[in-house]
Amino acid sequence: MFRETSWRRFDFWLLGVLIFAISFGVAMIRSAIAGNEELAQTVLRQVQFGVAGLIVIFIVAGIDYRYWTALYTPMFVVMMILLIMIYISAQPQFGAARWFQIAGIFIQPTELAKVVEVLILARYFDATKDRPRDLRWIFGSLVWVGTLALPILLQPNLSNVVVMLVIWAAMIWINGIQLKHIFWFGVAGLTIVIVAFPFLEPYQQERVLTFIFPDENATFGNLYNVQQALIAIGSGGWFGRGYGLGTQSQLRFLKVRHTDFIFSVIAEEFGLVGALLALSTIVFIVYRCLRASRLARDLSGSLIAYGIAVLIFFQGAINIGVNLRIVPVSGLPLPFISYGGSGLVSLMLGIALVESVVMRQKEVDF
Amino acid sequence: MRQEYAWRSIALTTLLAFLSVAVLVQMIRIQYSPEAEVFRAQAEQYSGKFQTFYPERGEIYDRNGHLLAGNEAVYTVGVNVHEMKDAHTIALTLVAYLGLNYEEVMRRLQDPGGLSFVTLANYVEAEDASTLMKLQEQMTADALAVNQHSALDGLEFQPHLQRSYPENALASNILGFVNREGKGYFGVEEKYNDLLAGNPVQVWVPEDPNRAAEIPRIPNGTTLILTINRDLQAAAEEALDNAIYEYGAHNGAVIILDPRTGEMLAMATTPRMDLNQFWNYPYVYDQSYLYNPAISMQYEPGSVFKILTMAAGLDLGVIAPNTLFNDTGSIEVGGAIIQNWDRQPWGAQDMIGCLQHSLNVCHAWISTKMGEENFYRYMNNFGIGHPTGIDLAGESPGRLKQPGDLEYFPVELGTNAFGQGVAVTPIQMLTAATPLANQGRLVIPHVLYAMVRDGRQFNIAPIHGGNPISVPTARTISEMLAISLENEASMALVPGYRVAGKTGTAQIPVDGYYDPYSVNASFIGWGPIDDPRFLIYVWLERPTTSQWANDTAAPLFSEIAQKTVILLGIPPDAIRLQLVNQ
Repeated sequence: MFRETSWRRFDFWLLGVLIFAISFGVAMIRSAIAGNEELAQTVLRQVQFGVAGLIVIFIVAGIDYRYWTALYTPMFVVMMILLIMIYISAQPQFGAARWFQIAGIFIQPTELAKVVEVLILARYFDATKDRPRDLRWIFGSLVWVGTLALPILLQPNLSNVVVMLVIWAAMIWINGIQLKHIFWFGVAGLTIVIVAFPFLEPYQQERVLTFIFPDENATFGNLYNVQQALIAIGSGGWFGRGYGLGTQSQLRFLKVRHTDFIFSVIAEEFGLVGALLALSTIVFIVYRCLRASRLARDLSGSLIAYGIAVLIFFQGAINIGVNLRIVPVSGLPLPFISYGGSGLVSLMLGIALVESVVMRQKEVDF
Repeated sequence: MRQEYAWRSIALTTLLAFLSVAVLVQMIRIQYSPEAEVFRAQAEQYSGKFQTFYPERGEIYDRNGHLLAGNEAVYTVGVNVHEMKDAHTIALTLVAYLGLNYEEVMRRLQDPGGLSFVTLANYVEAEDASTLMKLQEQMTADALAVNQHSALDGLEFQPHLQRSYPENALASNILGFVNREGKGYFGVEEKYNDLLAGNPVQVWVPEDPNRAAEIPRIPNGTTLILTINRDLQAAAEEALDNAIYEYGAHNGAVIILDPRTGEMLAMATTPRMDLNQFWNYPYVYDQSYLYNPAISMQYEPGSVFKILTMAAGLDLGVIAPNTLFNDTGSIEVGGAIIQNWDRQPWGAQDMIGCLQHSLNVCHAWISTKMGEENFYRYMNNFGIGHPTGIDLAGESPGRLKQPGDLEYFPVELGTNAFGQGVAVTPIQMLTAATPLANQGRLVIPHVLYAMVRDGRQFNIAPIHGGNPISVPTARTISEMLAISLENEASMALVPGYRVAGKTGTAQIPVDGYYDPYSVNASFIGWGPIDDPRFLIYVWLERPTTSQWANDTAAPLFSEIAQKTVILLGIPPDAIRLQLVNQ
């Protein structure tokens, strides 16, 4: 069943655009952190992570993805251990325990968890592809996702839980969930949101509320960031102020500008053209993932590529949406462009899986 | 994927596409909506701000270039609460290094009340601040090495300038001080506040580091060079302090003036205050006129005033040095009887004798001989009862009642002649004597020698206040005073230099009567008399060791005059005249 790997089918377009996106990101991080001594190392780190990610791509692409889906149980256990270990050895950062440190590197297992979720769901839907689409089938998948998401919810890290739920929703949608079930899930979901809102962390409530009812007088805080981002984007014009010349970003009006608000830095310094370039880069990567999904030789491969595509797209859309004030503030990075080692390497692992899928596509070699 | 789910795929792709398009639309909307203009305007607004620049306050130097008032960098220490990681450590550090209160610091850090920057200490000295900055730097470096945040993150230091007085209390009465709002109080700091402070400039300052060159350079405030000689000032202050201690006096003043130009060489008063701790002002001085009694304190001058009466009489020609006056011990002026200080008759006296023995009756006779109109004309010309116009803040005008004034009585023509019933300030008395020491010409005293602005120096020209007496009169009165000092072998004599001078022992009026046991002792003198280079006024309030100025003010004058000739490098008369005669 396992055929010889064909590097001829390796998606070099995907890899090329990916490398472009990371390089673009590194350049923008360099501009965004210019003059900040404390962050001076981030450029080099992002490059190191990028190189590490490339190595991951070449190694993992060479391995058949079906090994991974076959090993779903140990993978799941290791992932859970990592997520729980946070509580033992983590150091709270900005109010939430999301990181722990190995050999001087902060590791955020949550980023990895999203890729693992895609693998596990792909395995599940592949294994249950002939089962009726009943509630048992739905809950079966939800148990996997829920178990994985629970420690993340407790961190607390709502944004990533939402990402995981979206991945699940997209995957169960494509696997044929019945519309009446969607309706009931919608009703239940809405109820949960309304009931759960009082139990959210105050900062999470606040973010949602400031998004729905912006306080015009707030000078600092959540709306401040978004407002500054809008100013950055709005003042960029068609071609921007030029690299390293954005006043909003260079003058630190934008907080977390090298991570959550890097899109605003791009929009300010390179204008609409630059923002479109960043956007189309991500859309192109998503398109190549969906292409891999179409070409996959089996359902699990197809679902892996599809799930990674959803992950990248959704995360990118949310990040840009925050920058443009379409969605409430959340701490999701812009895929491949924002600073963040764990996120970058995890997403590159996802791409590696996609490459692994596309290298083993169904067409026969001539 | 099963083919029957293809529509699901299409639906999802449509959703993704829709989201992409939404992003695009929103981007273009932000650029081109009516809000866009607002955003651009906000970006412009955030790109800089109107800022008022206060020039660095001008420095003050003595005439030999010694710094008397400068500026030093001090620091505001505070915490940027958005970058603060560990309030506890910050508080402990500030307790240890700056002696702040722990609970207070914690309270303000934990509840900043909406502030993003909490100021915890101001006017922290550069030394303390730099110790703290090094500590913070070290901790940041250590923390960075293990990828942590430093516990002192958020602690910030903002330098600014503060007035500093390197000589501390020296000449504090002349300099005045500057409060933390940058406003000058007293002395030169108040008088020349506008010059020293310079012109604040309000300009648009771009915050863009690429446009840093557009930040304007503000010229500093004007630097002032004073006529004061620092070393002479220190010597005068020391001599005054010693004399007050030795003679058990309450207060005192010493003024040294160059009678040719009106340049103030020294002006010593007590008490003085360390100007670097100007906030002690209310504890040091009960009344504002005590800050610089030499220009603010009004009192009856007493016998030193007789030199003015004598000079006026000589100038008018009603008397000559050898005019004989038969002192019967009393004289009637305006219906009142005036007696000598010892209530004794002194018999026939020439005018030198009148000065030497300080005879009240004789001087009342001179003033009555002159008549009201002439006497008060001369006194006005000497500047009695008028502010001298010295360039120090807080001068009092003194008081000279004149015929026609509501409170004037005819007897005052007699009493004024020997310095009673008239109020002067030390600087006024000194200024009135300048014509005697300066060939008949009155000079306005001043402390400003030059201004330095934009690298150019503007010297201040001496200002003359007319010629109340003629050149011969000035020579004559100087000679008469020199002889009278020599005749009684006065303690005021200065070895090697001929000086002219007169003591003054003024009883202090208490509740309308003169208290015989409390006097103001004073001495006014100048020399060398052939070419006066210094004019010194010495005043002691209520010395307790002796009632007579001859025992207190006169030796103090001599001591100061001796220091003056040394510090100013004035050769003794013998050597000087030898050089002139060659």
